[in-house]
Amino acid sequence: MASSSSSGLTFKLHPLVILNISDHYTRVKSQSQPPQNGAESTASPPPRVFGCVIGVQRGRTVEIFNSFELLYYPSSHSLDRSFLEKKQELCQSLNTLSDKKVFPNYYILGWYSTGSEAEESDMQIHKALMDINESPVYVLLNPSINHAQKDLPVTIYESVANTFCSCGLINATLELHVIDGIPQLIFVRSSYTIETVEAERISVDHVAHLKPSDGGSAATQLAAHLTGIHSAIKMLNSRIRVLHHYLLAMQKGDIPCENSLLRQVSSLLRRLPAIESEKFQDDFLMEYNDTLLITYLAMLTNCSSSMNELVDKFNTAYEKHSRRGGRTAFF
Amino acid sequence: MEPYSFSSSAAMAQKTWELENNIVTMETPSSTESDAIFHHDEAAQAKFQQEKPWSNDPHYFKRVKVSALALLKMVVHSRSGGTIEVMGLMQGKTDGDAIIVMDAFALPVEGTETRVNAQADAYEYMVDYSQTNKQIKNCRSWRHGGLDLLGGNVSKVKNDSSVMRKEARFVMIIIQLVECHPSFLLMELEVQISLLAGLRVTVFKGPVGPLSNGISLLLIKKQVGRLENVVGWYHSHPGYGCWLSGIDVSTQMLNQQFQEPFLAVVIDPTRTVSAGKVEIGAFRTYPEGYKPPDEPVSEYQTIPLNKIEDFGVHCKQYYSLDITYFKSSLDCHLLDLLWNKYWVNTLSSSPLLGNKDYVAGQISDLAEKLEQAENQLAHSRFGPLIAPPQRKKEEESQIAKITKDSAKITVEQVHGLMSQVIKDTLFNSVRQFNGPRAELSGPEPMVES
Repeated sequence: MASSSSSGLTFKLHPLVILNISDHYTRVKSQSQPPQNGAESTASPPPRVFGCVIGVQRGRTVEIFNSFELLYYPSSHSLDRSFLEKKQELCQSLNTLSDKKVFPNYYILGWYSTGSEAEESDMQIHKALMDINESPVYVLLNPSINHAQKDLPVTIYESVANTFCSCGLINATLELHVIDGIPQLIFVRSSYTIETVEAERISVDHVAHLKPSDGGSAATQLAAHLTGIHSAIKMLNSRIRVLHHYLLAMQKGDIPCENSLLRQVSSLLRRLPAIESEKFQDDFLMEYNDTLLITYLAMLTNCSSSMNELVDKFNTAYEKHSRRGGRTAFF
Repeated sequence: MEPYSFSSSAAMAQKTWELENNIVTMETPSSTESDAIFHHDEAAQAKFQQEKPWSNDPHYFKRVKVSALALLKMVVHSRSGGTIEVMGLMQGKTDGDAIIVMDAFALPVEGTETRVNAQADAYEYMVDYSQTNKQIKNCRSWRHGGLDLLGGNVSKVKNDSSVMRKEARFVMIIIQLVECHPSFLLMELEVQISLLAGLRVTVFKGPVGPLSNGISLLLIKKQVGRLENVVGWYHSHPGYGCWLSGIDVSTQMLNQQFQEPFLAVVIDPTRTVSAGKVEIGAFRTYPEGYKPPDEPVSEYQTIPLNKIEDFGVHCKQYYSLDITYFKSSLDCHLLDLLWNKYWVNTLSSSPLLGNKDYVAGQISDLAEKLEQAENQLAHSRFGPLIAPPQRKKEEESQIAKITKDSAKITVEQVHGLMSQVIKDTLFNSVRQFNGPRAELSGPEPMVES
């Protein structure tokens, strides 16, 4: 997945941000249209929501961890500045609060909104944010539900403070276009990947597939686990099939041959087997054996428990005949 | 691209799930209906507050509905704390016998574990707390009395760990103050807080500001359309299960006295990662002196040896609520699409690597428990044989419990290994496809029993 853009920045987006925006939108929508009216789609389109995204930039990698809401004045197309500053202050105090990992150093990376396309007026907001972060990002979520769509309706617009001119190229970033001596900013898309931490992944799985919280028996847990892996592998398989189709078509000559893509495919294939070192085999075996050992221990415990039960039953059964003799005699 | 296979696999996984677990989804095709839960009706909530249907029935609230967002926020926050307890507050509303949690936000405090020596301080604090609260109810002399009490309390604190927990409670009080009496001017409050914070700084050289943060967070949230009030608090129990400790029980009890409806949620981030599913519990305490009727035996869970006493003493003072989750139609849509992006993460994660410490801890804990059980068994067998039958039953169940614990940890371990083996066969195809799998199926059913 090539995720770099012309600025060379890699974007990583956490699902929490997406859910946050979605929740903000739903909330505002339901608040503005009371459900009692039964108004389905006759009501006015729900207002756009605005907020800030926060996260970390390490080198060329931008990771968007979280977001918070902002106040917006539609009349002047501006955000509530004092509100933002207050929030930023809070953000900063969270940073300074603890030197531990409870609140890693999150900084304001940019802002988010909802809508289908970036609008003219968005540029004003974008510029307004530039004194906080000199190259803010703009996360746009399209809230209309379109079931035919297979991609996340989230777009990230990026901005870089470089001045090289690439007029006409709408594939790069928000660049400073010098037209008639006046620098102009244009929103341009950039790609991103979805990144999760383990806990986040599990909870997203949890809510997405509605797993029961009480765990269930070992069998259902096993089924859950395997289903998860199964669908992931299925996804991998389908991606590989796409590649395969593409290559076949190229061989037939239906598609023009593109060397750079072929090189990428070939380097991908060369990487298999992924790890083939002695050390890995050792470690893998060790892990395997450790697990088997744990299983063995559990079995032993299980055995001793059943044994204990048996002894107790035996004792109760024979106690009547020989008062305490049965018990001690057995040992 | 083959869109059909993507959607069908995701849909199939979901369908299988719902069938297997008899989950009643609140999914309704019409978006307005499923999103109705997100509407905040101030009047209805106020009416509910007036009626106080919960005051007669200590078991009034039976269900909890948690929004996807709140769950995600809470789990991520708990996990970010690592082995340190963290806490936060939840916003939401009530609906009949259900408490609905719409959102959650972190409080900038860290607690320590359920320490016994923190208890004395905590009780001392509780007295101050209730007094303060009563004064607030009168809405008089809060400034004077409140400060004195809080200030006096701070000066009594000795060790850092308990300070942390107390600090958390300060924040909670003040947030509740703001809620009870919105007429309080923010300015006035901040004066109070900065004074408080000043006290803290002089005594502990700690950071300034966590108190005002809590309030500001809530006020800010109200401005941006998060209208719900605080309905509870959550905190994490990293690695030792979801239950309420003595301190938690007393905190919750006081909160239920003054700030109904109030809910306590406990999340275990360590076990969440280990088991691959969210370990969460929602609790409410009974009023003091209330004897619960024949309690249905709550689900068994593993509790480390050093916490078992704390658990046992207080476990009859609260009950747990059923948790269900809900999501908006947009959330649903996004989550479905999200899967298309992050299946890679499912493949690339290895629970075995992340949980080494936890597993080792569990095993050593089990060893200790076994030793204890053995000692007791030996004692009762060869000691005076007047042991009443119930006692024996207890011992039996002790070993049975240990067996359950060990089976659980093994199942988790085997799951981790399975995904590793599957990945190995996938990507290092030097191996025979059937070899490792056949071996694996061996231990699984045995543990299951």
